[in-house]
Amino acid sequence: MNDAALVRRVLDGDSDAFTVLVDRYYDRYARYAVHMLGNREDAEEALQDAFLRAYRALPRYQERERFGAWLFRLLVNRCRTSAVRRRRRESVVVVSDDIASLGAVTRPAVEDAAWREELSRALESLPAEQREAFLLKHVEDLSYEEMAAITGVGISALKMRVKRACTRLRELLQEAQSVGTS
Amino acid sequence: MSERREFDVIDAAARTLRSPVVVDPAAKQRLVAALRDSPVPRVGAGRRAWHWIARPRPVMVSPLWTAAAAVLIMIGVFRAAIGWERTGEQPAAVPPAPGGPAVAAASNLHAVQFVLVAPGAASVALVGDFNGWDTGETPLAPSASGGLWSVEVPLAPGRHVYSFVVDGRRWIPDPSAARAPDSDFGTPSSVVLVGERSL
Repeated sequence: MNDAALVRRVLDGDSDAFTVLVDRYYDRYARYAVHMLGNREDAEEALQDAFLRAYRALPRYQERERFGAWLFRLLVNRCRTSAVRRRRRESVVVVSDDIASLGAVTRPAVEDAAWREELSRALESLPAEQREAFLLKHVEDLSYEEMAAITGVGISALKMRVKRACTRLRELLQEAQSVGTS
Repeated sequence: MSERREFDVIDAAARTLRSPVVVDPAAKQRLVAALRDSPVPRVGAGRRAWHWIARPRPVMVSPLWTAAAAVLIMIGVFRAAIGWERTGEQPAAVPPAPGGPAVAAASNLHAVQFVLVAPGAASVALVGDFNGWDTGETPLAPSASGGLWSVEVPLAPGRHVYSFVVDGRRWIPDPSAARAPDSDFGTPSSVVLVGERSL
């Protein structure tokens, strides 16, 4: 059953239909929330809040927009709020251990665990706006038009944020590599 | 070569970050429990009617009807054209020829020279909203002494935000230009206004 049909079922009184949407999108969007906020607790809180907001706002949802995109916009906004107000916490390595299975990846010549930690730290050190733009572009693989629709930021500014994020990440990751290999 | 290696670092980072993250199953269960405790969202009758009207849905049309509609439209267009020929009447608005506005815009470009004094730099690039913030798009050329870097860029009239990138990594605003008020992240950009009156 497609998303629109599930939404109609919820609005007709079948609240369990929403749990199908939770199953469909929770894990997929958890990746963004975890990388954006840098730790799982904040990410789970943001996810819970975004899904609950979507559920309560369902009568205002317009089918002209894909449900997944609408929900993702709520999550991106929720992560922004959270990033602004969250306390500084100890950095947690959030990148999955599953990457060993990606054999074709061009990976810097450092140990995987160290690479993941460096990547997590580098990502954490980016300003929130740049981290958001980098994740949406390079990880979620969105077009600039889609990013602009989700964030409400102009395409030119988004391009600038992505460029600056890449420049900074290159600096940090290459520095880490040169330290690690020397 | 350096560009290629740098690309690989970003590419590898993106691939690593695209791998699924492990979430606590209990968190999802807590969400489902919270949903059950929430009141079921209800839609009012008016909004329900509006949803029914506005809801996109596939429309089944037979090819025969589609062809008939196309023929009718063609007849209508033909008759209108004949009518104009007979009366000498012309449509009020003539659509521009393809490429017209682009040509006009091209002839409207202004050459703007960007200059930066950077004696110790190995390379300087210009990035801005006019080149998609691409560090490889607009390199500056050094003077004979090597301290003065410059490039001339044709720009359309309007407001442009830009920055210099020194040695491929250091973003700096133009020290001789106004700062962009919408700069962010502590690495401000500059603004150039291009237009008939500003040049």
